This record gives sequence, structure tokens and C-alpha cells, in this order.
Amino acid sequence: MLIQFIVFYVFAAVVVGSAFMVIAARNPVHSVLFLILSFFNAAGLFVLAGAEFLAMTLVIVYVGAVAVLFLFVVMMLDINFVRLRQGFMQYLPLGAMLGAILLVELLLVVGAFVVSPEVDTLAAPMPPVEQQSNTHALGQLLYTRYMYLFQASGMILLVAMIGAIVLTFRVRTGVRRQSIRAQVARTRADAVELKKVVSGAGISGSL
Amino acid sequence: MLYGLIVFLPLIGAILAGLFGRWLGDRGSHIVTCGLVTASALLSVPAFWFVAIQGNTQIVELFPWIISGELEASWALRVDQLTAVMLVVVTSVSAVVHWYSIGYMHDDPHQPRFFAYLSLFTFAMLALVTADNFIQMFFGWEGVGLCSYLLIGFWYHKPSANAAAIKAFIVNRVGDFGFALGICAVFFVFQSVEFDAVFEAVPRFVDTEIEFLGTHLDTLTVITILLFIGAMGKSAQIGLHTWLPDAMEGPTPVSALIHAATMVTAGVFMVARLSPMFEYAEFTLMLVTIVGALTAIMAATIGLVQNDIKRVIAYSTCSQLGYMFFACGVSAYQAGVFHLFTHAFFKALLFLGAGSVIHAFSGEQDMRRMGGVWRMIPMTYALMWIGSLALGGIPLFAGFYSKDIVLEAAWGAHSGVGQLAFVLGIMAAGLTAFYSWRLLFMTFHGHSRASHEVLHHVHESPPVMIVPLLFLAAGAVFAGMLFAPLFVGDNHGFWGDSIFVLASHTALEEAHHAPLWVKLLPLVVAVTGIGTAYWMYIARPELPARLAEQHRELYRFFLNKWYWDELYDILFVRSARAIGTFFWKKGDEATIDGYGPNGVASRVLDIARRAARLQTGYVYHYAFVMLIGVVAFVTWYLFIVGM
Amino acid sequence: MIEFPDISPAITELWLAIAAMALLLIGVVRGDRATRMVVWLSVGVLAVAIWLVWSDADTSVVTFSGLFVADRFAAFAKVLVLLGSALALVLSLEFLERERLERPEFPVLVVLATLGMMIMIAANDLLSLYVGLELQSLSLYVLAAFNRDSEKSTESGLKYFVLGALASGILLYGATLVYGFTGSTSFTGIAGALAAQEERSIGVLFGLAFVTAGLAFKVAAVPFHMWTPDVYEGAPTPVTAFFSLAPKVAALALFMRVMLGPFGGIADDWVGIIGLLAATSMVLGAFAAIGQTNIKRLMAYSSIGHVGYALMGLAAHSPGGVRGTLVYLTIYLAMNLGAWGVILSMRRTDGKLVENVEDLAGMARTRPFLAAAMAIFMFSLAGVPPLAGFFGKFYVFFAAVDAGLYLLAVIGVLATVVGSYYYLRIVKVMYFDEPAPAFLQPAGATIAVIAVTAIFTLLFFLFPAPFVAEAHLASLALFP
Repeated sequence: MLIQFIVFYVFAAVVVGSAFMVIAARNPVHSVLFLILSFFNAAGLFVLAGAEFLAMTLVIVYVGAVAVLFLFVVMMLDINFVRLRQGFMQYLPLGAMLGAILLVELLLVVGAFVVSPEVDTLAAPMPPVEQQSNTHALGQLLYTRYMYLFQASGMILLVAMIGAIVLTFRVRTGVRRQSIRAQVARTRADAVELKKVVSGAGISGSL
Repeated sequence: MLYGLIVFLPLIGAILAGLFGRWLGDRGSHIVTCGLVTASALLSVPAFWFVAIQGNTQIVELFPWIISGELEASWALRVDQLTAVMLVVVTSVSAVVHWYSIGYMHDDPHQPRFFAYLSLFTFAMLALVTADNFIQMFFGWEGVGLCSYLLIGFWYHKPSANAAAIKAFIVNRVGDFGFALGICAVFFVFQSVEFDAVFEAVPRFVDTEIEFLGTHLDTLTVITILLFIGAMGKSAQIGLHTWLPDAMEGPTPVSALIHAATMVTAGVFMVARLSPMFEYAEFTLMLVTIVGALTAIMAATIGLVQNDIKRVIAYSTCSQLGYMFFACGVSAYQAGVFHLFTHAFFKALLFLGAGSVIHAFSGEQDMRRMGGVWRMIPMTYALMWIGSLALGGIPLFAGFYSKDIVLEAAWGAHSGVGQLAFVLGIMAAGLTAFYSWRLLFMTFHGHSRASHEVLHHVHESPPVMIVPLLFLAAGAVFAGMLFAPLFVGDNHGFWGDSIFVLASHTALEEAHHAPLWVKLLPLVVAVTGIGTAYWMYIARPELPARLAEQHRELYRFFLNKWYWDELYDILFVRSARAIGTFFWKKGDEATIDGYGPNGVASRVLDIARRAARLQTGYVYHYAFVMLIGVVAFVTWYLFIVGM
Repeated sequence: MIEFPDISPAITELWLAIAAMALLLIGVVRGDRATRMVVWLSVGVLAVAIWLVWSDADTSVVTFSGLFVADRFAAFAKVLVLLGSALALVLSLEFLERERLERPEFPVLVVLATLGMMIMIAANDLLSLYVGLELQSLSLYVLAAFNRDSEKSTESGLKYFVLGALASGILLYGATLVYGFTGSTSFTGIAGALAAQEERSIGVLFGLAFVTAGLAFKVAAVPFHMWTPDVYEGAPTPVTAFFSLAPKVAALALFMRVMLGPFGGIADDWVGIIGLLAATSMVLGAFAAIGQTNIKRLMAYSSIGHVGYALMGLAAHSPGGVRGTLVYLTIYLAMNLGAWGVILSMRRTDGKLVENVEDLAGMARTRPFLAAAMAIFMFSLAGVPPLAGFFGKFYVFFAAVDAGLYLLAVIGVLATVVGSYYYLRIVKVMYFDEPAPAFLQPAGATIAVIAVTAIFTLLFFLFPAPFVAEAHLASLALFP
């Protein structure tokens, strides 16, 4: 148990610390790297809680795809972050005040936090790993109890796909494209032309 | 059905001409309105026969109108002898005026509108005279006022016409306010506005008092004085008469119909209709007599020196209305209504004749620029003579019978105010004769003072104008002769229950037994007046000017119409203007507008500008505002609700 | 093991999902030429959906393990949403063709957004609420940026997306708090948990604050309205018209269901917040619109104001209030549709679409029918009796007064007075200003929509009873 506690607090501390660094770092590349770090630690927290599927998903999707995409964007677009931050100080007092108020209020809530005694009975409890794998359990819920949401999420992804295509895809003229059909249909006759080369006359004259 | 047709046919005509005049065209509007009003006039003859001669009075309930608590007023036609007489007068004069207008207005570009107004007026007037309750009467009362306003201001592009229309409307408001208060008082006291119910209850309220602001006032006196104020306004009695001469700005047929024959007599009609109430209010009757007598003499003196042909006739109308009122004041309502009846014919004749003269002089109204044309327009000349003879009270003509019985009744009242009215009435009769013939002589005789251009164009009016005048002339000649025995004769049966006179009020009875000098005196002064007029305007034309020079002050006093307008200007107009300006500048603009509409408006714009400035276009500003909103919500929950 | 759920109550949603995919296929296969066909097919699909909803309106079922509810309230709101979407599509066709935006994805996205709205309306769980909301929002983001060659359009899409994501985050955070403090995401479960708690949990209130904020963003209530004017102005006009119609109805229906369903028991706590939202929306909508010259921006503020009035019915938290809001939404849908129809007809003879208030100048002389219809809509939006808009306001004011919210009603009346200024200004510009160049004759479909909505707006006072009765039945579904 003690080990678990120590590991939890280490992971948690690193998540919070690196999350802070995401917004505090001056270099955007560093920000993204800190983001990745916090993702990793969050994944660690999931593992600790016995949700290995979520942990792996987090690493694969967020670290492997999203964060790397961020990195690309940050590196490829030359965004002057210093200039972007210039107005920051102007809003700091009001922002800080709002943040402070919200923090105090959140603390009040935390002070009143009582885990509802019925939580175990209301939500679907996770079966022990020995009986059923995490993935299996999730799948069972997703495809039965939450089928409606699962399908609806599918529609969301469809919209996202349509949106991405509608907003970015355009037919460019004057761009040479690979035509697989043309490549496959090419015969030797189209591709190769035999020429008699007169020896000693050089190449320029005969072509 | 018959009575309904009489009342509503003109309304149909007004609606058709008013709303569809553009499609009907001038000719169509003429046919529709004149046809319907003439039909109404023709129908009123059998109505008169049934009701007045055969005595079949009745009340035709049409439909309930206003029912609110104890206030119940239905739309009903009360057809009794008084109404029948008025029906004949209103519809026949209206029909004549409609026909006449076809000729008189033939150059006007807005004829459908004119005829629609005329017909609408006729309807309103009929609604007034057939009213069975105070509310309906008030409806008609206001309706004729409205039409009068519209018709006086018919040539709305003339500033003077607009001013006159507004003046007529506003002065009438004063009277109408009295009338409305009177109706309220009637309802307050009698719990009803139905004539029958009220009349029946009146005797029970004799010598009762109502308390108003701590003073105790005699119930019936208060009510009748309030109602009489309404009558004074509508009938242009002294004090509220100033609008009538100005109303001559309207087209002449309008003056004839509204400001001579019908609307202005509504006050007299009202007093006669409400005779069961006035009879029990001695003080009010005295007041009516005095007001009538003063009006008669005042208007007559002003009429002496006016130069506008229509204004002379207008003051004459005012004066004759005074006669009618003092007749009512001495309880000789029959005489008053009889004078109303004859006056309607000869005064309409005079007005329309004057219109014909004006027409002949290409729109000239100033008598100082007329004269010497009697050979050129003989028909008009003859008709004006007939009208003047009737007005002057020359025997055999209508005015003779009615004016004499009025004066005799005043004498016959044997009361102080009666004597006053008699004396003033006799004087006014002389003056009337004088100014009537002054008008005739100045207009038709002597050397012409019109320009060559105008004289060249002097012509007789077309038949469509002359024929109606002939009808009126017949009325002016025969109406007195034929109807005097019926209306004011020894046989009292004619009026039935429509006019109520207390047994102790015997003026009319006494009038029949007046001594010979009383009967002859009006004729004598009338002839004297005519003679004087001949002497001054034919024999010695330079005399009037010298006379005016000698009695400069008096002349100016009369010429300026007793300075009524100036007095009102100082008393009401200027002070009202001063108060108004004060409230406008200081009260309204500075205070109410400043803090109210204008202040609010500029605040609104300020806020609008600020609200728009919130919209910077930066996403992070928007997000920031959202976060502020979230924090505000949370705070609300935690500290306002949660605590 | 859980049995296979009863899918029949969700037949409308299924139909829309399948049809959307089929339409997408047609579009992909036939290319941009198919736009016209796909638009009309989509209208047909939505019409069939209306029939599907209406033929089974009189139910009250919960299915998909409590995630989905079908009742009269949902049916009423769904019909409104479907009508709004279908008619907005009808209005958009001419625009798409003239502005060279003919792409079949447009109607498909509208259908998908409508599907999202269906899910929102039928949500009986915080999860389905969120999923529906996201499906709708994502489609709307894309639609806002649909004219990708226009800077304004892309900017508006991006703004909407960023702020919408923030709002979704806020909403989700609130949902987690609610889940944490009640132990359930289901509306029924939350209501039960709240009823069982003797002492009001501060955490639930905290979560409710965030949920309210998130939903307030979706209905564009002040202070979560900031995106509206910019997005409305930037988005292609038919999209703006669509935004102001169906999503508003859906979001308000969702708002009502959330506040009155799971949190109905603690209504006393949130009435103040909703009242505040309503009051600030009405006031800001009235004031900020005054200075606007762009008619799309003006309509944005107008819609903010109208959301305020609709929320007033929610603040009354009574069947009468819900009925008022539903009637309000019905009328709002009609008059707004018509107004947008006219705005979409503001096309000069050279084919250029204009969108300033001044461009309407003297339209009474150049296009008298359009001007008369627009005048009807403006008077109705201002709430002048006897037009429909007056009745909408009447029912919500009535409910508010009935619930004792006098201050709110007074603010509402005052805001109406201020607001009528800019509506009447449009009428004044159309009727009394010197004519600007004439507009093109709008397409027949547009004219038909304008005519039908104008007649509805004009003559609503003759036959309000069936609508009010239906809204009344619908409102009872929220008050078991």
C-alpha cells in the first residue's frame, strides 16, 4: 500500500507540475514536451487505478497522435509567442482575482466533498482483472448499455470527418497526381522506345 | 323601417362617396349622395304626416349600444312631433344644399370628399334629433361638430380656413364640456340616461340639492345650466358665439346647411327636447332668456357694420338664434322651434343667395366691392329680396309669423326678463331690417364698385343652383303662413307630449292675447329699419361714412365685434399660451423631456454604444467574459443561495 | 447481461442518421452537381422525420438504459426543430447556388446537426446530453466556416469552435461535479439523489452553476452571448438563419429539461440565475442592437433578446411557464424564418448580397410584398398586438407574473419598449427612406416560406388555441 501511495503522489505531483509548465514555459516546444510528460504521468495514474486500457489509449492517442501533431504544428508555424503574450499582463489582475475567487470556492466544495454512498451501486462497478480484462469490460458496457452513445459518438466522428474534408479538401489544378490505373495499364510499348544509336556520332545528334 | 331609412340613407351615401369616391368620380358621388339625401327628405314627409299630423309617436329600438353597470344606452329612434319637425327641416334643407352644391362646387377637385362630409353631417344631425337618450344625442352632437370642423376647413390649404375650423372646434369644446358634465350629472342624479326615465323622474327632484365641494346647489338648476352651456356653444350664444362668423371661411353651402339651418339650431332643439327638465329650473330659464336676448341685440349691432356679405348673414343667424333662445326661456318652446323652422328656410335661402352673388362676383365677398348688378342677376336678386323680407318680418312672409309670436311670447311672460327680452328683441328687429336692406342695397344697387374684369363676368347662376333656391324661397314665403296655426296656434294639441310646459307658464297663451301695439310694434320698427337703410344707402350714400366718423368709438366697437376676440385673446389665448409656453419650455422640455424621453433616449444610445463596444472581436475577451460569468454564477450559488 | 434495448422510440434519430449517410453517399458519388437534389431530399428526410415524430407523439418512454426519453415535450420540440431545419434548408438553396457554395455536404451537415438536436431534446442523461450537444455543435462549427474562401466565414467558424469548446469544457466540468455529488448521470437518478439528500449539497450547486453556464452558451444568453454577433455576421447568411432557428429551440428545450428534470426539486436555487440570464439577455439584446448597421448583427442581438424572453418562461418554473416558452419558440421560429427569408432576398440586381439596414431603404416601393412581409415580422418581433409576437410575449409575461417574478416582467416590458425602436427603424427605413436600388426577385421557394410565415404571424391571433393546447400538453410532460 505504501508503495502505491508514494507512486500516486509522485505521478500526481508530476502531472500538476508539468501541467503548470505547459503554460509557464516560454518556448512552445517545451510546452508541448511538458504536455507529453503530463500525459505519461496521467497514464501512470490510470494504471495505478487498474484502468490499463485507458492508460494505453491515453499514451497511444494523446501522446502518439495528438501531442505529436501539436509538436508539428508548433514547429512548422512560426508563431511569435512573445508577441502573443504581450497583452497578458493587462488582464493579469482581473484574471488573478477571478482565479482566486474560483479557487476559494472550489476549496469550499472540496471541503464539503462526500463521496456518495450509493456510487458503487449506481455506476457499473469494474470487475477484478482476474475475472475479466479491462478492455473486455469496457467493450461490454459500450456495446450494450451505452450503445446509444457509442453510435452517437460515431456520428460525431463522421461529422468531424466531413468537416475536415469540406473545410480543407480542394481539387487543385495543375498538380500532378499519381494515377495507379495509368501506371498499371502501362505496357512496355508505351514506356520504352528503342533507338538506333550510331556509334561515334554522339548522343545529341541522334535524339 | 321608415325612420331608420331616413336616418341611415345619408350615412350610406357618406360611406359610398367617402370611401369609394375615387371610383365613383364626381358625377357618381353627386348622384349617390344627392339621391340618398333626397330620398331621405321625401321619406320624411310621410313621416311628418304619420307622426305630427296623425300623432303616431313611437320609439324605434334598433340595438343596444352601451351596457356598463347601470349605464344602459341603446340605439333608438325617438320619433315624436318635435323630431318630425326637425326631420323635415334637416332633410329638406340638406337635400337642397346637396343639389345646390353640385353647381357651387363644380370647379373643386375634391368633390366626393365634400359630398361625403355633407352626407355624414346630415346623418349626424339626424342621429341627434332622433336621439332617445343623452348618449346618442351626444354622439350626434359631437358628430355634427366634427363634420362642421371638417367642412369649415374643407379648403385646408387656406390658413384662415384652418384657423376658423380649429376655432370652431375649440369653442365648441367649451360647450361640449358643459354638455358632457351635464350628462354625467344626469346619470349621477337619475341613474339613467334614457329621456323617458329621466323626464319621468324630474318632478321628484324639484328643490333637491346636490353637494359639490361643500356648496349646496339646486340639482335641476345645476344640470340644466351645464346642459345649456352645451347649447350655447353649439348655437353660438353670447360668449361662445365667436366661432360662428369665422366659420364662414367654409364653402357657402356649408354655411347655409350647418351654420344657419341645422347644426347651430341644435342648442335650441336640445332645450326644447329637454323642456321637461328646464321647466322645473326657473333660474336656468331666466338665464336662457337673458342670454338669448343679449345675443339677439349684440349680434344685430355687429351685423350693422360688417362688410363681408356672409358675415352679415352669420351675425344675423346669431341674432335669430338669440330670439329662439329667449322664446324657450319664457317657456314658449313652440314659438322657439317654430322660429327655428321658418328661419331654416329663409336663412338657408339668404346664404345660398349670397353664395350665388359671390359666385356671380367671381368669389368676391366684400360688399364694398359690389353693387349695381340687380339687372344682371335678377333671379338671385329676387330670391334675396324674398329672404330679406322673411328675415325682416314683413307680413305674409315666414319670418313675420315666427318672430312676432316669439316677441309676443316674451311680452306675454309678464316677467322682468321677459320684458327685457321683448325690448331688446324689438330693437334687434329694427336693426335686423336695417342691415338686411343695407346688404341688399350695397350688393345690388347704386354704382358698381367692382372692377371691370369682375363686372364683365357677372352672370346668373346655373339652374342647378337656382332651382333649389326656388324651393327654399317657397318655404320662406309659405312656411309661416301654413304652419303658424299648427305650431303656435290656439290649438295646443300639435306638439303632444314632445314639449312640456308647466301650467303656470302661460307666455304662449298670453301671446295670443297681446294688445295690438305689441303685435304691430315689430312691423313698425322693421319698416323703420328698411326706410333708414334706404335713406342711408340709396338716398344719401355719403351718410354712413359721416355717421361712422361722428360716432367713431361706437362704430369701431361694432366693427370689431364688441372686441370679443380681443378679450378672449387676452383672457384665454395669451394667458393659456404663456402657461403653455412655461410648461413647454420649463416643464416639458427641461424637466420631462430632459429626464424623460430625450434623457432616456440619449441614455439608451449611450448604453447601446457601450454594449456594442463590449464586442471587441477578440476571442480571448469573449472567453474572459464567459469565465467571469461562470465565476459569477458559482458565487451566486455559493454565497447567495448556499448560505 | 443487458437485453437489446427497444429502439422504436428512437426511430426518428435512426432515420435521420441513416438518411444522412445515404445523402452523403449520393453527394459523394454525384459530386457538387447533386447539391440541389440533396437539399430537396434532405428537406424530404426532415419532413418524414416530422411525420415520424408526430405519429408517435403521445408516448412517454425511456429506453437505451435510461439514456433516451420520448415524451410529448420532446415531440413538440422535435417538430419545431425539424421544421426550422427544413425551412432553413429551403431558404438556403438559392444562396448556395448564387454564391457558388454548391456542395452536397451542406444539407448533410444540416441533417446531422438536426440529429444532434434530436439527441439533445431526447436526452435523459448527462452523457446523452453532452453527446447530442457535441454532434450539433460540431456540425454548426463546420457550417459557420462553410464558405472557406471567405475570411469572415472562417473566422466566425473558428471563434465559434474555440468558444464552443470552452463552453463544452465548462459544461463537462459541471457534469462531473454533479455526477460526483449525486452518484448518477441519469436525470432520473440525479433527481432521486437530490430528493434523498436532506441537506443541499454545495457541490451539486457548484456543478449546476457550470452546467447552467455551458447551456447558457448554447442558447447565447448574456454573458455567454459574446460569440453570437460575430458568428452571425461572419457565417454565410443561410447558416446564420439556421443558427437562429433550430439550435435555439433545441438548446432551450434541453435547458428546460435539465433545469426542470434533474434539478426541478431545487428550483428555488436556480430561479434567480435563470432570471438573471433572462433579464440581462433581454436588456442587452434591446440596447446593443440599436447601434447596429449590419442586419445580421442586428438579428443576432435580437435573438439574444428573444432568448431572454424565452428564458423568462423557464424562470417561472411552472407548466404555464414552459407552455409560454414553447409557444414563444413556435412563434419566434415563424417570424424569424420569415425575417431571414427577407434578408436572404436582399440581393441587388448585379447578384451581390447586401446586408446593411440602409440597403433596405425604400423597399416598400421597389418590392412592396417583401417590405410588407418584413414589416409584419418586425412588428411581430417587437411584440405589437395583434401579431403573433405579442402572444408569445404575453404567455411568458403571464407565466412570470403568475410565478411572482414581477421585477423580471417589468424589465421584460421595458426591454420590449427599447427593443421596438430598432425593429421599427427597419420599417421606417423600408417605408420612408429614399429607395435604394431594387432587389432581385427572390426564388419561388423563398417567397413561399416568407408568405407562409407572414400569414402565420399575421393571423396567429385567430387560431392560437391548438398551439397553446399542444404546448400545454407538452409542458405537462416535464411536471410528472
